[in-house]
Amino acid sequence: MKNEITLQTRREFLRTTVLGSALSWTVPAFLADTFSALQARAADSATQINTGKDSTILVVLQMAGGNDGINTIVPYSSDDYHRARPNLGLKQNQIIPVNDDIAFHGSLAGFKSLYDGGHLGVIQGVGYPNPNRSHFRSTEIWQTASDSDRVEKYGWLGRYFDNACSGADPTVGVTIGSQLPEAFFARMPKGICFNNPQDYRFMPAGPGSEESFRKLNELENSSPLPDGGPAMMDTPSDGSNSGGSIGALPAGMPMTGGRAIDFITRTALDAQMSSDQVRGIAARVQNQAVYPFSPLANSLKLVARLIGGGMATRVYYVSQGGYDTHTNQISSQQRLLKDLGDSTKAFVDDMRAQGNLSRVLIMTFSEFGRRVSENANGGTDHGAAAPMFVVGDRIKAGLLGRYPSLAPSDLFEGDIRYNVDFRNVYAGILENWLKTPSAPILGRSFDPFQIV
Amino acid sequence: MLKPLSSDKWNYEMAAHLLNRAGFGGTPDQIGRLADMSHDAAIASLIDYESIPDPTLNPDWAHPNPDEVRQLREAIKAAATPEEKRQIQQASDKLEQQRMLELRGWWMQRMARGPRPFQEKMVLFWHGHFATSVEKVRNPYYMWRQNELFRRLATSNWEFLLRETGQDPAMLIWLDQAQSRKQHPNENFAREVMELFALGEGHYTEHDVTEGARALTGWSLDPQTQQFIYRPFIHDNGQKTFLGVTGNLNGDDVIAIIVRQPQAARFITAKLWNYFSGQVPDDALNDALAAELRAHDNQFKPFLRTLFRCEEFYGGDIVRNQVKSPVQWLIGSVRMLESDLPPTLISWGMLRQLGQDLFAPPNVKGWDGGITWITTNTLLARYNDAQSLVQGTLPPLHAADLARKQGGANGQRLERAMKRMRMGGVNVEKILTPDERQDNAILISSLQHRLFQGSLSLNQQEAIQQFLDSKTKMSDADITEAIRLMMSTPDYQVT
Repeated sequence: MKNEITLQTRREFLRTTVLGSALSWTVPAFLADTFSALQARAADSATQINTGKDSTILVVLQMAGGNDGINTIVPYSSDDYHRARPNLGLKQNQIIPVNDDIAFHGSLAGFKSLYDGGHLGVIQGVGYPNPNRSHFRSTEIWQTASDSDRVEKYGWLGRYFDNACSGADPTVGVTIGSQLPEAFFARMPKGICFNNPQDYRFMPAGPGSEESFRKLNELENSSPLPDGGPAMMDTPSDGSNSGGSIGALPAGMPMTGGRAIDFITRTALDAQMSSDQVRGIAARVQNQAVYPFSPLANSLKLVARLIGGGMATRVYYVSQGGYDTHTNQISSQQRLLKDLGDSTKAFVDDMRAQGNLSRVLIMTFSEFGRRVSENANGGTDHGAAAPMFVVGDRIKAGLLGRYPSLAPSDLFEGDIRYNVDFRNVYAGILENWLKTPSAPILGRSFDPFQIV
Repeated sequence: MLKPLSSDKWNYEMAAHLLNRAGFGGTPDQIGRLADMSHDAAIASLIDYESIPDPTLNPDWAHPNPDEVRQLREAIKAAATPEEKRQIQQASDKLEQQRMLELRGWWMQRMARGPRPFQEKMVLFWHGHFATSVEKVRNPYYMWRQNELFRRLATSNWEFLLRETGQDPAMLIWLDQAQSRKQHPNENFAREVMELFALGEGHYTEHDVTEGARALTGWSLDPQTQQFIYRPFIHDNGQKTFLGVTGNLNGDDVIAIIVRQPQAARFITAKLWNYFSGQVPDDALNDALAAELRAHDNQFKPFLRTLFRCEEFYGGDIVRNQVKSPVQWLIGSVRMLESDLPPTLISWGMLRQLGQDLFAPPNVKGWDGGITWITTNTLLARYNDAQSLVQGTLPPLHAADLARKQGGANGQRLERAMKRMRMGGVNVEKILTPDERQDNAILISSLQHRLFQGSLSLNQQEAIQQFLDSKTKMSDADITEAIRLMMSTPDYQVT
């Protein structure tokens, strides 16, 4: 029932205006835009009490490729560390110590300053039982919050949208990038994504073009919905997509329920609704901090402007790639972590200048850490547990949890053992930051890790 | 299961479906010619391409270049200053980029204009399956060579193709097999060949990965010849147990043992069915498909003939229910509209923006495909790229974006150069008769037939009609905008 209401509301956004008539193509585009935006805002406040100017915001930062956590938060006084990493082990001049045992990687000055200011928490040794060392599978596990032997159809953030954000606004989740992450996959798909606000629009060529475009992309044009609501990202109930013969096909890949065109039609509606809003804000709001020059910094700059512009978004998703350091790890990780620390620091400064810092929590994750022992190519291979970072001014700062032991007898197949299941962290964020019950989203009850 | 489509069901619509899926679509004339053949003859005209001459010339640098690689290395070593070193490296990077651009154009032209669309569709399948990226391989010759391998073995034997691909230089670099040795076996290829190429997760253990990696040691790349080489002295001669088989196994054994698994046939038939039909086969259908592949001794050609013949392939849940990949969208548009592919820089920019950067898949899993091609962002980009495609104008913003990335004076030069580029665009006289242009209803009907081999909804037809009716004196640009509007629909994104 919930889904039907949502769809109905979406349709109303596009078609009904305060003029009391259908939003046909004969209404000038600028009027149509204005009224659908007004309508959208009114509906938000009615259906999404948690969304809007005052609610909390989660920024998820994916460090793609499997970051070497051991050289990120460094157990620099451990003999086991230096024994396992004769070449890659960081020396005194390559680290920034926080105490007698633990140090930040030397290029994480940005993180260290956040840490000193009480704005950064390091959750040590995060992982999950029966770790998988495949990038794709382990990413999928983090994105869907599944057990490692189960394939889930939907992402954890998608399930959050399904459960807690029944409003009709597709901008509840925003990804900077051209693809939605699997974490956003939902029964009722929501969330928009784009790289560049200027491109994020239909560009009419000459008069009449935009009006026709709107009419061509109305919901009426798609085939009738199957009974019981839309199911465009559903897989069949026989579970034929949940492993077995086609185990490597990702959950989002196949079209196995509904018509492809229904999904596309809904995406077209979401695109129209969000495009004016995003462009308006991006044009109006300026960044108030100096960021580095990098794709990650650009993504965070955009997020900052959207937050400053009062988007109804509760979850932003940005990513930084390149952490798969099988070879020449020293130089590439140095560059990546510097970018990470400096970009995050600039974003926090920007949020503070906006007066929005208390509303924002940044959470980083990577699909796995890396082996304790270095390999023969100046790099490290796929491992298991690694630290997560949380950043904000209402978070628990400092070193959280404890550092996993690097002693060979404590390792499992060459990897450190996790102390904290990432789903406990998700539970903490859902319960204590997004203020929503976590069990329905995570499938069962996980003790919320105290980070707020 | 897999009964041939009955001959009374073979018609224009089904011929269009076959051409869309086994190729990249075509003009009403081309579809009509297929429909006039028998179903079997139509399939044969696409998949028995060996007798069709393909006169495409290879890029002039497409040959082994060990001297070039060695000279670069030596020049960098001999550089007197870091600045000189940087300049040499930059010149080399630039050459690599130019060649990759040429290679992308070369392949896109083969897809858009070449005489063997089915072969190119298979090359695209294998490229997505054995997804290898130049971002790591960094050698255009190797990328070209792998592309040619997929072309040469497009419909060959599963075991042969898997081994040849495993020994392909680009793959040896991409999954680190070239660096694997007895003392430090690298598990990357051993894992992915099972997880992503041939079996799927859950059909092997971590132990099989470790043991497989040991068996595969010795597979290497000879920088002198730029060919695969087996190096016995880095091969682990010990006993291994891999997927239940014990012995002093080597790389050939690993491939043979993998393909011998019943799951190896099931894995690849499910993926081929998904690629061509747009759906995941249910277990019963996939069992039948896998049995068909095995019955033909793991030869893909006869298996694919059965696939394109069977009635399941023409089912209501299959026809016009596949999301077009960006390549299908671009190449199909050019083929249907009888227009030229935009200059490579522009075509490549479009594919990148739409999420399918040829020779640079996001990771070894390849492109997820299906509905994941469609996001709010890529959908709007398709609608906007349609405009530059039909009108022959520069894509409004991403071209400028490309130029910006170059930066400075270079960027401005590039931007000016792109503004001068001839973009092709649709020649209205070529695709519409003067009579069709006299009546908007007939015009719309003709364009729909060409673009959808079917109809839009009445509501949508009305929108186009009203757009055209509002023009007092209809110009070619108005007609191309009407085509663009038809392409700016959810309907155009499926095939």
